Amino acid sequence: MSHDTLRAGAAAPAHQRRMKLLTVVATFGGLLFGYDTGVINGALPYMTEDLGLTPVTEGVVTSSLLLGAALGALLGGRISDRRGRRTVILWLAVVFAVGTLICTFAPNVAVMVLGRVILGLAVGGASITVIAYLSEVSPAERRGRVVTQNELMIVSGQLLAFVCNAVLGGIWGEDGGVWRWMLVIATLPAVLLWIGMLAMPESPRWLASHGRFDEALGVLRQVREAQRAERELAEVKALAEEDRSARTAGWADLAVPWIRRIVVVGIAIAVMQQITGVNSIMYYGTQILTESGFDRDGALIANIANGVISVLATFVGIWLLGRVRRRPMLIVGQIGTFSALLLVGVFSSVLPEGPARATVVLALTVTFLAFQQGAISPVTWLMLAEIFPLKLRGFGMGVCGLTLWIVNFLVGLLFPILVSSMGISATFFLFAGLGVCAMLVARAIVPETKGRTLEQLETDFKQAGATA
Amino acid sequence: MTVMVAVPDSPEGRTALSAAIDEARLRATDLVVLNLALGPLDLVGMPSDLDITVKERTGYADLADCVLAALDEHAGKVDVLVIGMKRRSPIGKALLGSLSQRLLLEVDVPVLAVKR
Repeated sequence: MSHDTLRAGAAAPAHQRRMKLLTVVATFGGLLFGYDTGVINGALPYMTEDLGLTPVTEGVVTSSLLLGAALGALLGGRISDRRGRRTVILWLAVVFAVGTLICTFAPNVAVMVLGRVILGLAVGGASITVIAYLSEVSPAERRGRVVTQNELMIVSGQLLAFVCNAVLGGIWGEDGGVWRWMLVIATLPAVLLWIGMLAMPESPRWLASHGRFDEALGVLRQVREAQRAERELAEVKALAEEDRSARTAGWADLAVPWIRRIVVVGIAIAVMQQITGVNSIMYYGTQILTESGFDRDGALIANIANGVISVLATFVGIWLLGRVRRRPMLIVGQIGTFSALLLVGVFSSVLPEGPARATVVLALTVTFLAFQQGAISPVTWLMLAEIFPLKLRGFGMGVCGLTLWIVNFLVGLLFPILVSSMGISATFFLFAGLGVCAMLVARAIVPETKGRTLEQLETDFKQAGATA
Repeated sequence: MTVMVAVPDSPEGRTALSAAIDEARLRATDLVVLNLALGPLDLVGMPSDLDITVKERTGYADLADCVLAALDEHAGKVDVLVIGMKRRSPIGKALLGSLSQRLLLEVDVPVLAVKR
């Protein structure tokens, strides 16, 4: 691109600085998402003592956020179509702050669960709205990177939470209620998100889809070169029209066999990303490490390794997506994750609790996360964006997103219950088994999407029915 | 004047389309094809002697609403709406809403319902 080379030269002009600032501000949404899902990891051991949690209430406190998120994702899309991306992100920042404060001051489990559900609404809403906002204001050549950048912010938020947990736990771990301090830190990025978004413009595509073309052009002039802004208004109008047609499909279309097949594959991809049990490590990592033989401070510090590897692996994953075919990347990721889980199960049952077992388990959770965040997760997001024909996209992504949250919810809810009833190694064997099943399903039904047009995929799905 | 045909992604849709082509020839009118499928309509084998316009379905999850909106858009110009009908088992009838039934009841132009 000619303007890319231009850009590399002299000091960045005003519209570029504005675009950069906008990206940073909006991705605070992803950061909050990561922090709020990750903070429970280190806070849970302290909370368990203070609030007297049982394995069941532990699961409920952790997973209630995900139930809220499922609802938030569903509502967020609809409300932001009606009221605008910026407006909804401003509201979400407030909901983030309110949810965080309720959790921070929760005197008992009931209030805590309420706070977590409210926080979940914000997390789920942000997951949809921030991505829509960013991809709508970004120039075309950057649009593809938005989803992966947001994913990077989510894992960075989790890492940040793990680091804060370790620092706070290390300094004030002996005082009661240190978990409240861990939670309350999340209000800070929420306030920054709110203040930042106040100064940011509405999405030009949303303005165009509501017929407000003058305002859309005004926004484009802020974030593009002068001549380019004019040219892009036409493109933005076309994209707004495309978005409208992406919301064509509904439940009735599932009557058509090849549509049903695509939706089933999409749902399978969503389930496969969560069924590895990745979030049992992201939410309960500290406890898994404590059970393996770390003391509490040690586990909090060791858990940072899980956060660091997630961030690094996400970088590797983004790099791999451009070079490797999707199907092999997914399947290798699955082999890596279930092998790691299997070995956690084996070593947890043969090694006695102590430093040796703790080190081995840490090494294996890190390996697991490398395969998950470096292969499975990035492929999941990209494939979900690639398999649906335009008119099915809105409906298909909605159904798959909801599936993802629900499986995430079930894993978060059941993990502590399973560990307390059948032990840690049996639980990991179970996840390894599910991982093997997921890999077999992936081999059987997931199509290769890299370098293929939607029309080619469509033909494949239609023919799959003719031979079956 | 115009013959309009609703073509869902099913064998009934293709039956309706070929019946509509015959009808448009017979009446010597043009043909508006309402593509209710999520993919593009296969135009191979469509006659070249007819004036055919394809309308895509956008923004409507409900197929009947989409047809009714298209009829409103062409109000006063449509001679006949052609639709395909599917045989349904009694259980199927009880469980699923019927596109054909809604159109037969709500459309205010003559409807030609074709069975496979």
